[in-house]
Parts: sequence; structure tokens; C-alpha cells
Amino acid sequence: MESLVYIALFAPFVSSLFAALFGMSPRKTFVGAIASLLLFVSLSASMMLAYHVYQTGESVHITMMDWIHMGDLYIPFGFNVDQVSVTMMNVVTLVSTVVHIYSIGYMDHDKSFNRFFSYLSAFVFSMMVLVMSDNFAGLFIGWEGVGVCSWLLIGFWYHKPDLTREENPSISPSWAANEAFIMNRIADLGMLIGLFIIYWNVGSLQYDAVFAAIPHLTDVILSTAAIALFIGAMGKSAQFPLHTWLTDAMEGPTPVSALIHAATMVTAGVFLVIRVHPLFSVTPEVSYFIAALGTFVAFFAASMALVNRDLKRIIAFSTLSQLGYMFAAAGLGAYWIALFHLAAHAFFKALLFLGAGNVMHAMHDELDIFKMGGLKKSMKATYIYMGLASLALAGIPPLAGFFSKDAIIETAFNEGTLILWVMLVVTAGMTAFYSFRQVFLTFEGDERYKEFGIHPHEMYKFVLVAMSPLAILAVIAGFFRESFNAFVTHLLPGYEMSEHTHHLALILGAIVFAFAVGGILLAYKKYAKGLKRSEKVENSFIYRLLANQYYIPNLYEEFISKPYAMISEMMWKGVDLKIVDTTVDGIAKFLYRSGDGTRKMQTGNLSNYLNWMAIGGVLLLVVAMISAMIG
Amino acid sequence: MDNILSVLVFFPAIAGMLGFVVNKDSARVYGITVAAIEFFLSLWLWFAFDGHNPGMQFVEMIPMIPDFGVSYYLGVDGISLFIILMTTLMTLIGIMSMSVTENVKNMVITLLFLEMTMVGVFVSLDAIIFYLFWELSLVPMLYIIGAWGGTLRVYAAIKFFLYTFMGSLIMLVGMLFVAYIYHDLTGVWSFALTDWYALVLPVNYQLWLFAAFFIGFAIKVPMFPFHTWLPYAHGQAPTIGSVILAAVLLKMGTYGFVRFSLPMFPDASVIAITPIAMISIIMIIYTAMVAYAQKDMKQVVAYSSVSHMGIIMLGIFAMNAEGIGGSVFQMLSHGIVSGALFMLVGVIYDRRHTKMMDEFGGLASIMPKYAVIFGIMLMASVGLPLTIGFVGEFLVLIGFYQVSPIMTILAGSSIILGAVYMLSVYKKSFFGPVTKDENKTLKDLDIKETVSLVPLVLIVIWLGVYPKPILEPIDNSVKAMLSFMDEKAITQEAKDMIQVAKSTKEMK
Amino acid sequence: MIGLSHYLIVSALIFSIGLVGVLRRRNLLMLFFATEVMLNAVNIAFAAISHYYNDLTGQMFAFFVIAIAASEVAVGLGILIVLYKKQGSLDLDELTTMKG
Repeated sequence: MESLVYIALFAPFVSSLFAALFGMSPRKTFVGAIASLLLFVSLSASMMLAYHVYQTGESVHITMMDWIHMGDLYIPFGFNVDQVSVTMMNVVTLVSTVVHIYSIGYMDHDKSFNRFFSYLSAFVFSMMVLVMSDNFAGLFIGWEGVGVCSWLLIGFWYHKPDLTREENPSISPSWAANEAFIMNRIADLGMLIGLFIIYWNVGSLQYDAVFAAIPHLTDVILSTAAIALFIGAMGKSAQFPLHTWLTDAMEGPTPVSALIHAATMVTAGVFLVIRVHPLFSVTPEVSYFIAALGTFVAFFAASMALVNRDLKRIIAFSTLSQLGYMFAAAGLGAYWIALFHLAAHAFFKALLFLGAGNVMHAMHDELDIFKMGGLKKSMKATYIYMGLASLALAGIPPLAGFFSKDAIIETAFNEGTLILWVMLVVTAGMTAFYSFRQVFLTFEGDERYKEFGIHPHEMYKFVLVAMSPLAILAVIAGFFRESFNAFVTHLLPGYEMSEHTHHLALILGAIVFAFAVGGILLAYKKYAKGLKRSEKVENSFIYRLLANQYYIPNLYEEFISKPYAMISEMMWKGVDLKIVDTTVDGIAKFLYRSGDGTRKMQTGNLSNYLNWMAIGGVLLLVVAMISAMIG
Repeated sequence: MDNILSVLVFFPAIAGMLGFVVNKDSARVYGITVAAIEFFLSLWLWFAFDGHNPGMQFVEMIPMIPDFGVSYYLGVDGISLFIILMTTLMTLIGIMSMSVTENVKNMVITLLFLEMTMVGVFVSLDAIIFYLFWELSLVPMLYIIGAWGGTLRVYAAIKFFLYTFMGSLIMLVGMLFVAYIYHDLTGVWSFALTDWYALVLPVNYQLWLFAAFFIGFAIKVPMFPFHTWLPYAHGQAPTIGSVILAAVLLKMGTYGFVRFSLPMFPDASVIAITPIAMISIIMIIYTAMVAYAQKDMKQVVAYSSVSHMGIIMLGIFAMNAEGIGGSVFQMLSHGIVSGALFMLVGVIYDRRHTKMMDEFGGLASIMPKYAVIFGIMLMASVGLPLTIGFVGEFLVLIGFYQVSPIMTILAGSSIILGAVYMLSVYKKSFFGPVTKDENKTLKDLDIKETVSLVPLVLIVIWLGVYPKPILEPIDNSVKAMLSFMDEKAITQEAKDMIQVAKSTKEMK
Repeated sequence: MIGLSHYLIVSALIFSIGLVGVLRRRNLLMLFFATEVMLNAVNIAFAAISHYYNDLTGQMFAFFVIAIAASEVAVGLGILIVLYKKQGSLDLDELTTMKG
């Protein structure tokens, strides 16, 4: 079993190194093929491990080597494959394998084809480290590793110039990459502080040691640790107020958006909360905050998705919204449901993004859905995929999203948090609306793209085939809910609905269903026949507020970036050069000037010197006399 | 080889003397050979070093002025060993990558003398010998900046010299006073550090002496507000000068704190924790902001050095093994990473003769290898896990968290602010379209540059993934020092503050 | 009765005369004379104090001073002559080549 763990972990690493070997040479298809193959190897190993864990009910634990050992701090490279991590491993490797194969087709015209695979595999490796580590420090390695890979991949097309915010809301890929990295770093500081709190109170960063010590710690320590860790999770999972980077991250190539910014990396925050559930389950206030924030973000992001015109940004907002759902579930204590939604969401959201990639490929990188329409003729398969994924996202039974999302909404009801429940239900309706607004505007109605002289064509066959596992899973994953429950609750606390909720389950489900169908019908009514734009609506305050993301990016720029740059400039020119350095130079200049001034004494005239000498002698006499009198 | 340390110290100097008779054209090869031999000698030192022994090893002692207790007294422990290795490595790499074309012979000889003084500082166990090497190291650097520097080179060189010299004079007064007290108490003169360690001083004496040593070391580090010589020195120095200055000369200051201030004045050090931590935090945040405002790539790296030195200072005053050990590791890490960054700036300067970032843009597509290596060093500089930069920074912050959580959060902002200025450098220089025509024909790294940079990349990753061989000896020496400080401290506050590692306690 | 203090007063007076000469005179030769006057003032003090304490060391010192003054004059006058030949003047206000 141990070798399987190593294979699962290092196959992506080998793949990355292999691709890096060809990083600077022109496109070679076999690089993509071998990278995909290695990812498939990793996937197979993960599946075997899953089977093993399922069969035996025991986790596989290995310690590879020591990492840091200083003072009393001891951190090894240890990996633990248990029910939770093996689930994540399978989700990650499955989606990555599909995305790798997809990228062979999607990136086929890109000159940096090989480099792309190197980054993509490196990302998978980091993600595997993140989920498999048996200690917080290892988690942090993966955590930062995915951050860097995300930076590299968002900024993949680094050569694009900076534009104004009006021309491109993300300014440029490199700008978006830096924004993502820096925002994540802010959250990472929170996470580091969490690690410090844990270390100084427990004396170890190993999960099992920490969890075993939780009963001995005071509430204050537990709460601060939980808050600090959650701040880390907020950054990675783009929760308000650190959410702006996620939509800007859409500047990266679409496979990247599918893999990193939908299926895997952004769910790392949710994974963290699930992984550290013994801590969060004893800090109810923090958990409630997580649930409330999650619900808020679900609603908040969905609202921005309602009016957006950018194909990928809409999906990004929906990702944000679904992450909110996951946090709501995790915060309410339904960890396994959060994990289930995480997995299901990974499948249908990756599918949705890859479908969007197909559309982009067909539309020559045009992203404005107002310029599309009627694509179903030329892109039937993509239409089916995206339709399925959107249905799953909207929570229509019997697709995966129904089972997972419905459970979350039910949990909110079960916990008696009615406000959260209402918001989540309304958000479900909004989700259905914006997903189908997008689908209809893209595939149905009039063919607006013709004005722009675009001739769309369907994606390569192998790419469409490669996407099929995701489509199948998006359809059937929901049926495994109970067996998944049984599997992961070996490790996670079970979550049962109360009698009362159980009785109302059908009604509750019906309400959610009604909202979802209502959303779809509304979208159908408004957009299926074609785009009808209304000046009045588009100029209304609310529309503009939503379209500009509540002006939050502008706000950050005005109140954080610009003042920071200004203060930095002032610190340099005002303080460092004017005050500190001038003082230093001032001292030197004083000495120099005093020397320069007294130099005039040296007239060269012996008689003057003698006078000075006499004055000096007298002075010395006076000093001697005074000191004699005092002493 | 019992006197390996003497060989290490004087081999480069003797070779430098012989360098005068070497043919001009072969001066560079000669320099590389000597530096390589020196580096292998220091590797041999590591090989022969007993990592489990926390005390001084390879000790050599020859009385020089017995009447005043001055002796030629050398030794290494886990703390100094790796700094010596880093010194010889960076000198070797520096000479290999050197792009100076005028007076190459003089430069090589100067560098070899500089190497002697640097190694000398880190192996000296006698205060006078230490001071001797400490001051001597200024001369070659003065010459390097003054002779090969930019337009303001004389101003920068003199500022560097006078500033640091003034600080070390005050330190010298402190040293003489310690020796005087030692003579007062024991009746014999001694400048041997190991003798001084045994001296238990009253707290007010400790405070004054701490202050005297502080000024000498703080200017060298350089700590805010004594840092302004650094940007000038870096701005004017040739690449090789900046590499050595950032990699090794700055470490003398922090090394001095670990070697002198902590074990000699434990009570004063504990009292100084809060003020020094505050200065360090100012250094970290303030210089990170100043770095962000720079237009000149080299100045960014220079100011980032100050910011990182703040982290090192913070760790030294954490008073626990995690913090101090982390600081020592961070010294190595900063030496290698900032040295490499200065070399990288030198690479583009050699091609374009400017360091202004708005002259660049889009370099990643023209010079991909250069961009990759720069990217790796940048990530190491911002402390990415599995690079060398993370280990030290993490240990320092985790160590200082025990002292003050709030200050640690403030200091931890370096991981954010560091990313801000470093990524903005990278974005301005390497990303975006290629706007300037001169940049379109730039050549990627040549063999010489690749050969000097790739080893550093390998070390950055190796020590990020597997720092154990280095951490272990550091750990042992630091733990021993802490338990010694704890025994020696006279006030209860100091005893409470100094954290002896649990493993040390168990051994007792 | 003429006591020690009288001698010392005379010595101080002569010394002051010498000092004023040193400070006020512009001619190098005069300056020389003035220093000789000062030296002799000191010699008087030496001899007087020596007599007062019945200790011959002071008088021995006075002889030393006389001897050294003599050799100094020899060397000094030599220099003066060379200087005069070179510059054509011994006026201090004109000899300012050592100006800083």
C-alpha cells in the first residue's frame, strides 16, 4: 500500500518535471500525452487506495522523512490516506486527468504547450501534498504550492498588456495572478498564526496529536486557533472579503479555471475545515460564523452572477456561491455533506468550465454571452454537457447537485437557522436562473455571433470523450450519497436529520425544487428566444451595482492599493531619504563643516599660531585652576 | 588537519599575495581555482565536524600578547560552521559569475583578501582577533565599491566605511571595558570569548555593554534607522560587491548578536527584547514599503535585504531554540537568495546597462531561462515552502510567537508585503508585452551565468526540502547556548524569558 | 631681604615680556630673542627655587636649558639665514606658505 501512496503522490510530480524538461522547446504532443498518462497512473493508485481504505476501514500512514527539526519543533513529511483524504485524492486526480487530456486539445495552438503541462502537473502534486499530509505544516506546503501554481497558471499568458478596468475587469493575466497570490498570502498569514497557536499549546503540528490535545485546551485558545485557520481557508476558498481574486483568476486558460478555480484548489478551504473538524466542532461560535459567512457568500456571489455577461465569470461566481454552500454545511456541523457537495460540485463545475472552454475555442476566445446565441446547431455535444452540468448545478433531481445541495439546505433547516435556510433556498433559485440564462444565451436563440464573422466549430472528438467521465459523474454521483455517507463517517462525525426535519423532508425538497424550476423557467422565458436588452434595466442602480461587483474591486483599489503605493512612495522619498538619510548625512556634514570652518585658523602665519598657542595655554591653565578649585 | 581553521583563514590571503605575480589574463581562472579549493576545504571542515557536539571544535590557541591575554584563538560550532560554508560558497560563485572587465587581477586579489577577513570574523574566538578581521573586512569592500562602482561610488564607499567604522569603534570600547572588568574580577587579562562567557555581570553593566555592542552590530546588520548606507553601497557597488555585501558582510552583524550579545549579556538581552523587536518590525514593514516604491531593480533587492534582516533580528531575540536556530538558518538562506538576486540583477545590467524597471517588461518571453531562475529566487525570497526561504522565516516567526503574538502578526506581514514588492518587480520586468526595441534582442543566460546560478538554485531547493543536515548542528549549538544563558542569567525575568528546549531539560 | 617671591616675580615679569615679544613681534629674529628671554626667565626661576630648597637639581636643569638654548640658537639661526637668502625677508606676515 505504501508504494501506492508514493505513486499517487509523485506521479504528478514526475509528470511536471518531465514536461519542464521540454518547457522551452516548441509544442510536443507527446508531452501532454505522457503527462496525462502519469496523471492517470496517479488516479489509478488513488482508486486502489480508496478501495483499500473502503475494504479495511483503516487508513494508510507513512512518514517519508524528516523535514524541520529545531528546538522542540519536529515536522516530518508524513502522509495519511484516510477516508477524507482519499476522497479528495480521487476527486483531484480524476478531474486533473480529464483536464490534462482536455488541455491537449484546448492548448493545441499555444506555443507554451509544454510549459502549461508542467505547471498543471505541479499544481496537482501540490494539491496532493495538501490533502495527503498528516500535519499542518505539510498542509501548508501544499497550500502555498497550489498558490504558486495558481499564480503561474493565471498569469500563463503573461505577455498580455495591462488594460483599464473598463476594458477588462481583471486588467491583465499577470495583474490577476499577482492579485490572487497576494490575497492568498494575506489569508496564509492567518493560517500561519493558527499553526503557531497550535504549536505553542500542543507542542506538535501532527493532526492526531493536535486532535488528541483538544479536550485539554481552553475555549479561548481553541476559538482563536479556529478563527486563524478559517482566515486561511477564506483566502484559498475566496470567501468575502477576499473573494475578488477568484473572478479575476478567469484570465488563466480555461482548463486551469476548471481544475484550480472550480474543482480543487478553491475547495481547499472547505477541505481544511473538514479536516480539522475536531477543532471546529468544539468551537460552535466560530462554526456558526463560518456557516453564516458561507450563506452570505452563496447569496452575494449568486447576485453578481445574475447580470454578468462574461461566460467564465458567471461560472466563477457560481463557484463562489457553491463554496458558500459548502462552508454553510461545514459550519453547521454536517461535514460529510460538505465533503459530498465538494466532490459533486467538482464534477459538474469542471464539466461546466470545460464546456465553456469548448465555447471559447469555437468563438475564438470571445467570452461575452451577449455576442453568442444559437450555438446548439454547431456544438451539440457541448450543449448537452453544459446543459447537464447546469441542471446539476441548479439542483434538479436526479442529478448530483440535487442530492448534495438539497442536503445542505435541509441541514440549515434542521439546525433551526431559518434565516440561513431562506437565503440558501433563494440562492438556489438564483443559481438556477443564472445558470440557464447563460446556457440559453449561449446555445439558444438568435445567432448573434454572425455579426462578428465567427464560424464556430465543435471541439475535437477525443476531448469530448475525455469529458464524458465528468458528465457521467455529474449525473450519477448523487446516487452514492448513502454509501459515501457510510464511508466517510468512519472518520467524520455523522449527521442525522431530526425526526421533525425528516417528516418535512419532502416538503422542504419540494420548495427548493420549486425555486430551482422557477429559476430555470424564468431564464427560459427571458432568454430562450434570443437576447432582448432593456436600457432601463441595464442603467438601473442595482444592475450597475451587481455588474460592477458591488464596486468592491474599485473600493480595494481606491482604499488599499493606491494608498499603499502612495504611503510607500512617501516612506521612501519623505521618510527614508528626507529624514533618516538626511540626519545621517547631517551628522557627517556637521563634522565636515566644523572642520572646514576651523580650517581658516590655519593662516600659515607663525605669529597667529603662536597667539592661538598662548590662548590654548591660558585656557588649559584656567581649566586646571577650575578643576583644582572644584576638586 | 588540526589547524584547518588557520588554513581556511589564511589560504585565500596567501593565494591573494601570490596573485600579484599571476599573469593578467589568467587572473580570473586563478581566482576561481583558489576560491574552489577554499570551498572544498570548508566542505571538508563540515565533513569532519561532529554535529552532535554543541561546543567549539577545531580549536586553535596561540598566545600572542600574553601580558594582555590576547591570543590567536579560533574555533567553530554549529552556528558559525554554515556561515563559513556560505561565505566560501558565495565567494566562489561570485568570482565565477564576475562580469568586471577592468583590472580583473586587482579584483580577484581584493576578493581573496576579503574572503580571509570574512572567514576570520566567523572563526575568531578572541575579541581582538575578531575585531581585527571585522575592521579589515571594510578595506577590500571600500576598494571594491570605490574602484569599480557607479557614478556616486566615492560617496557611497566613504559613507559605507565611515558609518560602519564608527559603529565598530564604539564596539571596541565595549570590548576593552569587558576585558577591564574581567581583569578587575579575576586579576588576569583575557580577550578570549570563552573566558568572557563565564563572566557574570551586574545588570547595569550589561545594559551599557549591550548598548555599545549593539551600535557596532546594528549598523552592520543594518538595523533601522542605521540602514541608509546600504542602499547607496548596493546602488553603487559592482555586482560582485553587492553579492558579497548582502550575502556575507551583513551577516557579521547578526552573527555578532548571537556570538557576543546573547551569551555575554543574557539579562540585558532579555530587557532589550521589546525595543529590538519593535525596531525589527519597523525594519520589516517600513523597508518593505520603501522597496515597493523603488524604480530601480537593485534598490528593491537592497531594501528587501533590510526587511529580511529584520526577520533575522527578530528571531535572535525570540530567546528560544526555534527562533535563534531559525535566525541562523535564515542568515544562510538570505545570504544565498539575496546573493543570487543581486547576481540576477547584474545579469540584466550587463546587457542593458540600466537597472530601471520601466526599461524592461516582457523579459520572460525573451530570456526564459533567466526568468525561471529569477522566479525561483523570488519565490525563495518571499518564503515559499520547500525553498530555503521558508524554513528560516517559519522558524523565526514560530519562535517569536511565544514572546509576543501581536508582534509576530505584525512581523508576519512580511510574507504579504514581501510578495507585494517582489511580485511587482517580476510583473514590471518580466510580464507584459515587450515594449522596448533594445530588449527584443537580449541574449538569455550564457554558460558562465548558468554555471554560477544553477548551483544556487539547487541549494535553494535542496535546503528547502531537506534542511536537516544543517539544522541539526545549529540546533545542538543553539540549545546548548540557551541552557548556558539560562544558568547564567541573574534576574528572574531573564530566566523566565529564556526558553531552554524541553529536550535539553530531559537530558539533564 | 630679597626672598624667593621677588625672584619669582622677576622671572614672571621677564617671562611675560618674552611672551608679549613672541606674540607681537613680526620679525622672526626678534621672535627668537623673545623665546630666549622666556627661557632665561625660566632659568631664573629654576635657580631661585633650587637655592630655596637647597637642591642642586634645579640649577643643573638651568644649565641644561642654557645648553639646549645655545644649540637651538645655532640650528635656528642657520635656518633663518637660509630662509633669508631664499625669501629675502624675515617678516612673518610674508611667510604664509603653510596656509591650510
